[in-house]
Amino acid sequence: MNRPLVVLSSVSSDSHTWNLVYLQLLLEEHGCTVVNLGATTPDDLVADALREHRPDALVISSVNGHGAIDGARVMRHLAADPVTASVPAVIGGKLGVAGELGLDAEAALLAAGFHAVLSDPVQLVSTIAALAGQRRLEPAGA
Amino acid sequence: MGYVDLSSYVRRAATQRELVVQPRMGMARPEEMRAGLLAVRDLPAWTAGTMTLDSYTRVGDLRGARAALDSGAALNGYPLVSHGAGVAAAVAGAVGEDIPVQVRHGSSDPRTIFATMAEAGLFCSEGGPVSYCLPYGRTPLPASVAAWAEGSEALAAAAHAAGEVAHLETFGGCLLGQMCPPSLLVAISVLEGLFFAQHGVASVSLSYAQQTSHEQDVEALRALSALAAELLPREVSRHVVLYTYMGVYPTTVRGAQRLLARSAALAVAGGAQRLIVKTEVEATRIPSVEDNLRALTLAAEAGRAAYAGQGVDPAPEVGSTGILEEARTLVLATLSESGDVGEALQRAFAKGLLDVPFCLHADNAGQSRSAIADDGRIEWVRTGRMPIVPQRRAASRGVTSTGLLAMLQQTARHEDGYDVGSLAIVGGGPRGLSVLERLAARLQEEPPGSGLDISLLDDVAVGSGRIWRPDQSELLLMNTVAGEVTMFSGPADDGPARPGAGPSLAEWWSTFDPERAGPDAFASRALYGRYLGFVLDRIEDALPEGVRLHRRHTRVLGMSRHGERWRLECADGEELYADRVALCTGHPRPAPSAEPDRVPADSAADLDLSAVRPDQVVGVLGLGLTFYDTLALLTEGRGGRYVEDGGTLRYVASGQEPLIVAGSRSGVPLRARGVNQKPAVHGYVPRVFTAERVAALRAGPAVTFRGDVLPWVLAEIMIVRAEAELRLAHGRPVALLTPAELAAVNRDPDPCRVVQEVSRRHGLTDEVPDLEAMAQPFRGVGFASPADYTAALLDLVAEDLALSAQGNADGPTKAGLDVLRDVRQLVRDAVDHGGLTAAAHEHEFVRWFEPLVSALAAGPPRDRLRQLVALVDAGVVRLLGPGFSVERDEHGLVASSPAVAGSRTRIDVLLDARIPAPDLRSSRDPLHRGLAAAGVLTPWVNRSAGDFLTGAVAVTATPFHPVDAAGDPVRSLHVLGIPTEGCRWFMQVGSGRPGPWGSFVKDADAIASTMLTALAAPAHTDRYDERVAL
Repeated sequence: MNRPLVVLSSVSSDSHTWNLVYLQLLLEEHGCTVVNLGATTPDDLVADALREHRPDALVISSVNGHGAIDGARVMRHLAADPVTASVPAVIGGKLGVAGELGLDAEAALLAAGFHAVLSDPVQLVSTIAALAGQRRLEPAGA
Repeated sequence: MGYVDLSSYVRRAATQRELVVQPRMGMARPEEMRAGLLAVRDLPAWTAGTMTLDSYTRVGDLRGARAALDSGAALNGYPLVSHGAGVAAAVAGAVGEDIPVQVRHGSSDPRTIFATMAEAGLFCSEGGPVSYCLPYGRTPLPASVAAWAEGSEALAAAAHAAGEVAHLETFGGCLLGQMCPPSLLVAISVLEGLFFAQHGVASVSLSYAQQTSHEQDVEALRALSALAAELLPREVSRHVVLYTYMGVYPTTVRGAQRLLARSAALAVAGGAQRLIVKTEVEATRIPSVEDNLRALTLAAEAGRAAYAGQGVDPAPEVGSTGILEEARTLVLATLSESGDVGEALQRAFAKGLLDVPFCLHADNAGQSRSAIADDGRIEWVRTGRMPIVPQRRAASRGVTSTGLLAMLQQTARHEDGYDVGSLAIVGGGPRGLSVLERLAARLQEEPPGSGLDISLLDDVAVGSGRIWRPDQSELLLMNTVAGEVTMFSGPADDGPARPGAGPSLAEWWSTFDPERAGPDAFASRALYGRYLGFVLDRIEDALPEGVRLHRRHTRVLGMSRHGERWRLECADGEELYADRVALCTGHPRPAPSAEPDRVPADSAADLDLSAVRPDQVVGVLGLGLTFYDTLALLTEGRGGRYVEDGGTLRYVASGQEPLIVAGSRSGVPLRARGVNQKPAVHGYVPRVFTAERVAALRAGPAVTFRGDVLPWVLAEIMIVRAEAELRLAHGRPVALLTPAELAAVNRDPDPCRVVQEVSRRHGLTDEVPDLEAMAQPFRGVGFASPADYTAALLDLVAEDLALSAQGNADGPTKAGLDVLRDVRQLVRDAVDHGGLTAAAHEHEFVRWFEPLVSALAAGPPRDRLRQLVALVDAGVVRLLGPGFSVERDEHGLVASSPAVAGSRTRIDVLLDARIPAPDLRSSRDPLHRGLAAAGVLTPWVNRSAGDFLTGAVAVTATPFHPVDAAGDPVRSLHVLGIPTEGCRWFMQVGSGRPGPWGSFVKDADAIASTMLTALAAPAHTDRYDERVAL
């Protein structure tokens, strides 16, 4: 069975990295191959990575409170190219300044093209599994 | 200009054994920045000033900084470049001759910042080509090295031209803030120091950030000093600066303060002469000036204390684990790449000779991994291509995502107290104590693996609570005999009294007051309160090591979720964090009366009767237990006394008593209990109202009370009554029913009829008890005068006393009624949590049955009724009649009974002697109100075939988790006792009973067991935590 390939990224304004390190470990533990783009990721870099790797999914994690704004902008950028637009994308973390994201803001992110807005890493694992066309991600080495 | 030079300032402080303390502080507006610096300067400590720049300036987005300034938007620091050199000079100049001022920024390209600083006459800053590049952003390392080389040289040259000395502090001792083994931090810090020196900076400080092991950090700080002394040119002045922990920070004030104080002690022990502090709000918001001042003061004091504790000798040696050697190896390997430090750094990172674990920067090799070992030390797990090897095999397990989260949060959790379990019991009365007793008993059997804090909170009396507090009048009695009261969950044995094994109230009482004590005696409530205090002391004595009991004499005003914990806000201003909380808050407090002549209902101990004058008439509403308590306070409590006078009791008045005019709906005072004839350890075995029957009832849909439950209770009463008659007749126990007859009763849909037939055959009393008629004998009866009513009442009381004297086993009437107590738990099992239909629950049970049980089977000691008769005879008490009501006319309050002609009596004060039922919906208690508003507590609604809204707190079956607004159990909470009355029945039980565990102990044990099991479960580190952020 193929290992799902995931491009993991933050957004351009967010310099936090531990969230990305954590998610990389988590996804690898569940059998994914992860390309971790790191923090303060310019929109172009995300698009280039998608074109280069053609991943099963793009995972955007942001915790600085600007994720909702920046994430929507990234999706508009990716929509310009059919190749990047075709990669299913999910976003999660602390996306709003005031903590929990409201339903409206969530709906806006979905409208911007995200496949899912996640609040829990458990959801991330199952979502990636679904996107990769597998019932469930097998732990690495299992 | 003559600004104070950081290096010499630090040296001067060190000679005075003072730690230089410094904030990270930056305000957008010059006047605020200036005021902040002045405030820092004016602290009675060796402080250094800081101008921390905003993040727009940090990344070189000067347009963004300008736009934010123009629009008035918030900036998270001082926009040095945008305000310009002149403003900076004016701001820093306010303090520059008194304390050093350092610009902190975090920029991978400091050239513009340094140019503005130089123009302003400021030459002290910090950073580094590696440390401000790799952890943040995407600037390529070569670009950062070039920018830092140029910037450093320009700053040094400008300083030189101005006759000053440039100072740069390395940030290399921090890197990602946490999880980096100290040898690499030391190496990068020294390499950045060498880089600065090579580019003309004549004064440097070398940083190190506090990590997770004090010993390891001390060793690292000393290694940093040693390696800097070895490798830095002699003419470069230098000192070591420590950063208070830079990783995920504690969220509690106490935890944050503790970590800060520890860092100050670490600085002194490790020989760092300057400390950059963190504030107690670090994890939650941008610190204010006041937050910073508090932190600086605390750090300075902790530094002084550490110096004082150290004495004049140098700090004690710590064992070497090779940090110095490892750091030296890394530095020398790097320097061997090139004579140019900047070039050497680039090559070392490109080759992986330096490799920062978990760093995602494209120029970092990313092959190294580290972990925090069990002893708190940060160890290498993998070293990639670095010229060093992991030292301890123990750390080589690899790092999982869950493990990483736990490690990142370890320090914060430790300082916040998360690694020590914390349980809180809110309400320190019998219910709370019962939970504590079972916790302690279980902990005694199985000590916890780690520390455990248990807090017992009560604002009146910790251990006894308000109702049973020891300082109340000795006249107020319990209404359970002392032999039937215990707070230990097992009988005393040869060992010391301890959780699970201790004396009953009677046993304890008899050790110091054998004259009055006895299993059938009624103790005062105050005495019971002292017994509860004794139990609490024995519990504390028996706690195993690592378990601490905190007796908190305060009220909990509110609770909110704090991560996985609860944050309890106390009236004394303290906050408390607990993993699990049991709410045992007991009786609600009454609302204060709006009318001065009405005293609201409350426990008699809390009724203020001092204002009642002897010449006044006091109305007492209610003839229950509180009525008897009130009588005692107003008579014996005022100097009256009783004398035995030829078989009757006579009251000798003191003259201080008011006239007491009392009544209730039934017009009959609570009946006396039968004289106790049952052993303290007695288990009633029901014949027809059995556990199996109740289980069968609960297996089906909700039932009615009078049709489906009550007949079995009445049949049970009839059997016991008949057997008491048989025993009286035969002088020995005789069973009423043959096995065949018992089987017939159990099969018959009308069990009372069958028991009736058998009883009739034996010539025994055969009528089906009419509880209502027994409880309300005056129903529908009119009296021509108060004297007629009083005569009828006294006859009734005399008869009741005679029945009571026959005893609760031998007297057929009282023995029968005692069944209501004996089957109480079975009734609960049948009724609680929606066993009855909504309509039956409301109309047949709560409104009809409950008052009958109170009137017939929950009465006071029989002496209380004898006293009542004596008081009526003495004219001190006048009972007014059934349907007692009080109204107000233009002159004041008037009491009357519609059933007694001529009963209208003017009263001066009305005491409400009916203890109010708790009601979550109208609770005045801020804790309950807050939890209800948050949807954590909800009022229970019986939805079986209808809706019966109660004021009870909705709880699950055992272990009684509250049910929240979403309908889910709140598993970290328990609610026990009176607030749940309505969802559960008869919660106003204030003691356990010797013998097999009853529900009082079972309830407590279920909660204790759940709490301890939850604590023993692995930490919940599997959830993403937004605090995992640098």
